[in-house]
Amino acid sequence: MASNNLMVGLEIGTSKICVVVGESRTDGTVKILGVGQAPSRGVRKGEIVDFETAMKCVHEAVVDAEQKSDVMIRSVYVAVAGSHLQSFNNRGCVMLPEDRDEIDEQDVEDVKSNAREVSIPAQNAFLHSIIQHYHVDGQDGVLNPIGMSGQKLEADFHIIHGMRTRIQNSIRCVKELPLEVEDVVFSALASAQVVLTKNQKDLGALVIDMGGGTTDYVLYADGAIRQSGCLAIGGDHITNDISMGLRIPMARAEKLKIEEGSCILGNCLPGDMILLKDDSGFAGKEIERETLNTIIHLRLRETLELLKRRLDEESYLNYLGGGIFITGGCSLLNGLDYLAGEIFELPAQVVHAHTTSGLTSAVENPQFSTAIGLIKYAQAVQRDRRPRRFGRIFGKFFSGIR
Amino acid sequence: MIQLSKSYSLPDSVEDFIPIKIVSVGGAGLNALDRIVLDGLERAEVVAINTDVQSLASSVAAHKVQLGRNVTRGLGAGGDPELGYQAAVESSEEIREALANARMILICAGLGGGTGSGAAPLIAQLAREAGALVLGFVTLPFSFEGKRRNAQAREALDRLDQFANAVICFENDQMADIVPPKAGIHQAFASADMLISQSVRSIVNVIQRPGLIRIGFDDLLAALRRRNGRCLFGFGESDSDNRAHDALTQALKNPLMDRGRMLSDAARILVHIAGGPGMTLSEVEVLMQELGRHVNEQTQILFGTAVDGRMGNRLSVTIISSLAADGDIALDGVTSLPVAVPTPSIWEQQPQPQTSVDSVPESIPMPEPPRVPPIDFAPIEQEPPIKEPAPPATSLSKKAESSSVAAQGRSAPVKKTNPVEEKLPAKQEVLQFEPVTRGRFEKSEPTIVEGEDLDVPTYLRKNIKVK
Ligand SMILES: Nc1nc2c(ncn2[C@@H]2O[C@H](COP(=O)(O)OP(=O)(O)OP(=O)(O)O)[C@@H](O)[C@H]2O)c(=O)[nH]1
Ligand SMILES: Nc1ncnc2c1ncn2[C@@H]1O[C@H](COP(=O)(O)OP(=O)(O)OP(=O)(O)O)[C@@H](O)[C@H]1O
Ligand SMILES: [Mg+2]
Ligand SMILES: [Mg+2]
Repeated sequence: MASNNLMVGLEIGTSKICVVVGESRTDGTVKILGVGQAPSRGVRKGEIVDFETAMKCVHEAVVDAEQKSDVMIRSVYVAVAGSHLQSFNNRGCVMLPEDRDEIDEQDVEDVKSNAREVSIPAQNAFLHSIIQHYHVDGQDGVLNPIGMSGQKLEADFHIIHGMRTRIQNSIRCVKELPLEVEDVVFSALASAQVVLTKNQKDLGALVIDMGGGTTDYVLYADGAIRQSGCLAIGGDHITNDISMGLRIPMARAEKLKIEEGSCILGNCLPGDMILLKDDSGFAGKEIERETLNTIIHLRLRETLELLKRRLDEESYLNYLGGGIFITGGCSLLNGLDYLAGEIFELPAQVVHAHTTSGLTSAVENPQFSTAIGLIKYAQAVQRDRRPRRFGRIFGKFFSGIR
Repeated sequence: MIQLSKSYSLPDSVEDFIPIKIVSVGGAGLNALDRIVLDGLERAEVVAINTDVQSLASSVAAHKVQLGRNVTRGLGAGGDPELGYQAAVESSEEIREALANARMILICAGLGGGTGSGAAPLIAQLAREAGALVLGFVTLPFSFEGKRRNAQAREALDRLDQFANAVICFENDQMADIVPPKAGIHQAFASADMLISQSVRSIVNVIQRPGLIRIGFDDLLAALRRRNGRCLFGFGESDSDNRAHDALTQALKNPLMDRGRMLSDAARILVHIAGGPGMTLSEVEVLMQELGRHVNEQTQILFGTAVDGRMGNRLSVTIISSLAADGDIALDGVTSLPVAVPTPSIWEQQPQPQTSVDSVPESIPMPEPPRVPPIDFAPIEQEPPIKEPAPPATSLSKKAESSSVAAQGRSAPVKKTNPVEEKLPAKQEVLQFEPVTRGRFEKSEPTIVEGEDLDVPTYLRKNIKVK
């Protein structure tokens, strides 16, 4: 099998490790060859806290993926998340020399590096610098300036950076397996590649990936990324709240959340009780349904409101023609789309990767959005990339990714 | 981003931390630093310093300094301390910058090679000049590494001793005690790395963990300061039913403790106990009584405790002390004993690559500890006595606590303590209990946004009854 069109995405999630093996086709579609999984241990809030344990779990998932896809995995695209990730928008600018007025490739390169000449904290590293738009002599919204004539070229970038050591933790974990790391990608950016169409990005859309440990988001307006980030709150928090509020063990709280939980209030009749069976099958504790839903509702409302306050720091929320797209395991919680719609006052829906071809049903689960998104990301990058430079993992520019 | 707002009143907000830097020098130092960072280090910055760019490149440290761009040109110092020293001289300006703004600097190095041995003493000097308190954490080579390396290491240790406030020295030969004889050199190094990591992290914790009874720099120095002396260090942690006893036993098993036998000669020892909110006064008492049997009547015990929500059910004890130089006699006796010293052939074999999974053992089998006789509950007589339990924090205003802790932190002097203060028993502070446990998030960095700890269930923070 020609290996250069094989791509592997790895998400070291808080709840599960997911490895997706995909094959890029000449018509631009992706075929999923196999999905490997393993429960995740040693990861909290999207970051590795117990190195050895996490590494074992990643290994397990990789082996699973290898068996299912019948592909020997050598290198992977790795998703990263964590509260240390930060982002901002920055504009780069270059002036053409007096004797020339046609913009060439070198000018575009120069304006990119100029946009990167901003200071981020010393312990941080660039993760992404994503092109939004070019401006030529003040003219807005240029998508490809090469060949245009002008004196002044400007470019707007969305820059994502994070703590170097913490990003390196994921890289090390993979390298010690040992596997090559092709690239590290912010998880919501990966998810967005499969849950949004180009049209939705143009209309304006907010992607929320709510996983076990983190809530990651990217906001698109006018076809370009404008805001992104990561809140260290996820499904674990809901489960922990339930466990403490109802005084039941975490494992039971998790099961209860998934099987019975909802974030909609006022839908239950008074006295609507859930009977918790204990392991021996005997009837155990009784729990009022409304109580369970209240605990869940309060947490999710708080999280979404917090996210809204963050996004409100800039004005883009007013330009979301496409609405809100929620993915990640928590999006499976009953009523979350409704709650998000109410809080953001925008249409909201739960989404997962749209199947291309290959293992259709396995893929249609919001928990896999990030890992499958990595494949799409890889495909875009590989199409865009010139012959690979040596091991520069951080801070790449790809015009193919939006 | 974690936002620590100023209004957040738990004492572990950033302002209360003392700026600590952990500076690692040479190949061994960088390996130990990776271990420290991977084991989880909070509230301290790390700096990696080396002549060898390859080893710098693979270090996880955020801040890196290459020594001797001209002198060594990115290669190592080839085992020549003079070259290591010159490389450090060439880069002393960059070193100064890297050391700036720290109250306490811990320097880690493996002595015996070129860079660590040559540069570490100069770095210690620069760190002192920058006004920081300086502690060295160094290893001495295995005997089988040869006379030259050993001599180089001893000489470097002497120099380091002149500049550092205290040096904690790990002898690689003693690793033979905790590494199975058949294990390769890598495992021995990995154990040394682990010990260094443990001691560095626990010293950082001793200083940074807001305490009920907080240990200050002066206490730490009082326990460690012995020119040319030998540091004793032990750390143990347990979450068993009998965790106070188990943690202490483990701490005494540390190779630098010689199973607690060394303690009987120490004039002063510093003991720090940390636990989650569930830690009880009686546990602390049991531990101190048990420890009391290992020390001399005259020994002064400096004692501190801290409650840290992140500890969960675990209880940890750190013991730090030092012996006067004449303790060296005993030490020499130890190293000349026919211990199971790996033969040079193991050195040649280099069984696993540095990065292989099993090169860092998760737990190292240790020899059985001596059986501890049943506890008798005689009142403890060392000073300072443990004070009456303070009232639980829930009845106190948090604001007041945090400011008292902050004031304490800032007032801890780097200079020599004045004699009056030295007589004082360990400082007692109000109990600081977190209102709820952190459950699932025990090991993670708290999610603090807009001044609220979002790991605490929303319904609790919003005061909504869910029964
Ligand atoms: N704990 C630990 N000790 C090591 C390790 N590697 C080497 N050592 C010890 O540290 C001593 C110094 O070795 P290095 O740190 O590699 O030497 P260096 O300071 O980098 O000096 P040059 O290589 O000469 O530039 C050796 O003699 C060993 O005893 C390691 O990985 N861990
Ligand atoms: N049917 C369901 N209803 C409610 N919650 C669910 C359901 N299925 C899964 N979850 C929750 O989704 C979370 C896991 O989601 P996901 O697999 O996307 O997380 P992850 O990628 O492992 O974590 P992260 O990306 O945050 O590090 C868990 O908290 C789980 O409880
Ligand atoms: Mg995820
Ligand atoms: Mg070296």
